[in-house]
Amino acid sequence: MIRYALTRLLLLAVGLAVASAIIFLTLRVFPGDVAQMIAGTNGTPEQVARIRTELGLDRPLLTQYLDWIGGVFTGDLGSSFLTGTPVTAELAEKARVTVPLGILAMAIALIVAVPFGVLSAVRRGRADGTAISVIAQALAAVPVVWAGMMLVVVFAVGLGWLPAQGFPTATGWSTPWLALRSLLLPALTIGVVEGAMLLRFVRSATLQAIGEDFVRTAAAKGLTRTQALLRHGLPSVGLSIITVLGLQVAGIIVGAVVIEQVFNLPGIGRMLVTDVGARDLEKVQGELLLLTAFVLAIGFLVDLLHHAIDPRQREAE
Amino acid sequence: MSFPIRRAAFLAAGLTATLALAACTGQAPAPEPTEVDPDATLRVGLVLEPTTLDIRRTSGAALEQVLVDNVYEGLVTRTPENEIVPSLASEYEVSPDGLTYTFTLHEGVTFHGGGELTASDVVWSLDAVVSDAAFVGHDDLASIASIEAPDDHTVVLTLSEPNQNLLFTLTGPAGLVFDEGDETDLKTAANGTGPFLLDSWVQGDSITFQRNDAYWGEPAGVGTVTFSYIPDFQAGVSAALDGSLDVLTPVQADLASQLDGVNGFELQYGRTTDKYVLAFNNAVAPLDDPRVREALRLAIDHEALVEVIGAGETQYGPIPSLDPGYEDLSELVPFDPERARQLLAEAGQENLQLELTIPSFYGTTISTFLVSAFNDIGVELTVEPVEFSTWLNDVYTNGDYELSMVNHVEPRDFGAWANPEYYFHYDNPQVQELYASALTEVDPEASAELLADAARLVSEDHAADWLYTAEQITAVGPGVEGLPADSLNSRLDVSGVTLAH
Repeated sequence: MIRYALTRLLLLAVGLAVASAIIFLTLRVFPGDVAQMIAGTNGTPEQVARIRTELGLDRPLLTQYLDWIGGVFTGDLGSSFLTGTPVTAELAEKARVTVPLGILAMAIALIVAVPFGVLSAVRRGRADGTAISVIAQALAAVPVVWAGMMLVVVFAVGLGWLPAQGFPTATGWSTPWLALRSLLLPALTIGVVEGAMLLRFVRSATLQAIGEDFVRTAAAKGLTRTQALLRHGLPSVGLSIITVLGLQVAGIIVGAVVIEQVFNLPGIGRMLVTDVGARDLEKVQGELLLLTAFVLAIGFLVDLLHHAIDPRQREAE
Repeated sequence: MSFPIRRAAFLAAGLTATLALAACTGQAPAPEPTEVDPDATLRVGLVLEPTTLDIRRTSGAALEQVLVDNVYEGLVTRTPENEIVPSLASEYEVSPDGLTYTFTLHEGVTFHGGGELTASDVVWSLDAVVSDAAFVGHDDLASIASIEAPDDHTVVLTLSEPNQNLLFTLTGPAGLVFDEGDETDLKTAANGTGPFLLDSWVQGDSITFQRNDAYWGEPAGVGTVTFSYIPDFQAGVSAALDGSLDVLTPVQADLASQLDGVNGFELQYGRTTDKYVLAFNNAVAPLDDPRVREALRLAIDHEALVEVIGAGETQYGPIPSLDPGYEDLSELVPFDPERARQLLAEAGQENLQLELTIPSFYGTTISTFLVSAFNDIGVELTVEPVEFSTWLNDVYTNGDYELSMVNHVEPRDFGAWANPEYYFHYDNPQVQELYASALTEVDPEASAELLADAARLVSEDHAADWLYTAEQITAVGPGVEGLPADSLNSRLDVSGVTLAH
């Protein structure tokens, strides 16, 4: 187990190192830079050149990269060219919106996906099972932006139950109900669409489990098919769900980019869009590296969990 | 730069449904608010957020819009109609030869940090702009030869040659006065003399002001102002509808009907100097041929375009109606596709293909209109939407484009037509001479006439097409009084606004 964990950890470190180089280089491919953005449409070439020198943008790329990575090792992910705010402080601030949003969205996705996914597998070939599949197929195809606007129209503007947009930044989570209310519609938007996709996965995992030897054996020993599935099949379905959920963390961050725009939420997604637009690259690369580290770390945990739960994997070792 | 028009079609469905539902639920008319609350919180919804608060070193209308006059002040300022009026100077005098400007400062003015305003603060602030190229407006103050403070309340500027634009430049970021030697980090904090203190900036969300109770002038009419930045136009309208805002500006024209008369909101149409400029790269073939440029302009039905946009006025030359030197030049470019085709034939450009580079946040309304208009005269237009920073790099800096469309917000920016290095690459020595003499002309009227002559030449050369000047739609909620109407995208002075409950 420990050897397995160490190998995975090493892979994680290599992954991060490669990611840092890719992030750094791809951001440099974008045309335009922050100096031009600062100088704007009245800026003269001299002005742009001066700002570039001040910000150290005229140094060779390798020097810039090494400087940045050197900082990362000492815990300094860099700071914004424009405001001087450290990346870590900004991310921590925006995470107050995006992390709860992601957790809520995932919870909703699970609530949608697991019961209905299992049901549609068990009732395969019957009217209700087929209906669930068809609805899920349709929901998964709905664009997140459109779903969000429709929910706003019905629940916020029409019924007035929930706010149409915004987050109570001034009070934040010290007014938990206000904060939670403002995240419900966006979480529902991401959660239902992601849940519909997850549902299809749960369905196929359940179908597979129904066909597994150990479920058939259990059924042969006298359990009903449903009992056999619940007792012996579900843990294996659970494993698959954990794997997919790990992958969905990245999906939810991407979803946040869109949904935070629609619902005007000051979260990580909206910040990334703004920062890329302003070419505040030092900030963007710090943010992306931290997010990559987060996604890789989740993957690492999922692997460990998988390893710990699944007897087949341990035996294979 | 820039107020986009976008996602119109995308939002049409949402709009219809919203209206239907709003009608169903039938909000009862609230009683007219009457009691003015001097400590009220005014909640303003805006679209473009500044990327930093460093107004001295960063250009952009979003910064000027909220900070100038509210937090920072200069010797002089301008009204929403672009008239120059005294601010920190109680009065000023210009010598008859236009070379000496003498400003007398108000007494008893203090900075938010507690420092007292003296003439040496003014000298220090202006000196920084004159001596450092990285400051906004550095070039515009190039004619200043010396800045002196003969006593604590007098500042004398001496110019090497007269500059008709000097006072106007001083109404902008270049003229703002800071506390000498102050070490406030201007990127995220502020220390001005204005009627409001900068309370907080939550990046990606909002900026909050508190009233400056030690203000030297008339105290502000509300206790707190929150500017919420809502980049998505529909989300902004939703915020106004759900009661989160007292003011929303700008409102996209095709969404405005959702707010008109709803929940006590009223729409206000303000003039701007937002020039939607279809730039031709005058330096590259075939656009170096004036016949081709004229043909493209004749193909555009400007009246129809303004109608499609929903708010704005036609503008047939480089100077908008709020700036000196404006005159109606519509006779130069009547809508005439027939003549356009003729001109293209004369120029031997019957099968012309052109590319339009346009920042993507302007949406597709304008580009679709142009594709169709040019198609009618046999010109095939392909549209290349790019990010704004890409536009700055490719078009603005490198001049690598054929046609481009952006909104030039800045007032009195005629200088771009007299600068062949500017991305238009328009080079007419006569225009350059006229502009130079307009700048050095001491009499404002005579200067405006010179500008008008220069503007006419630019339009006769068809150096670009001025699609329209935007009008800014502002939704004003119940109880809000005293909000200015014009030029709100570059100057949103909220000190005179009151809010009643």
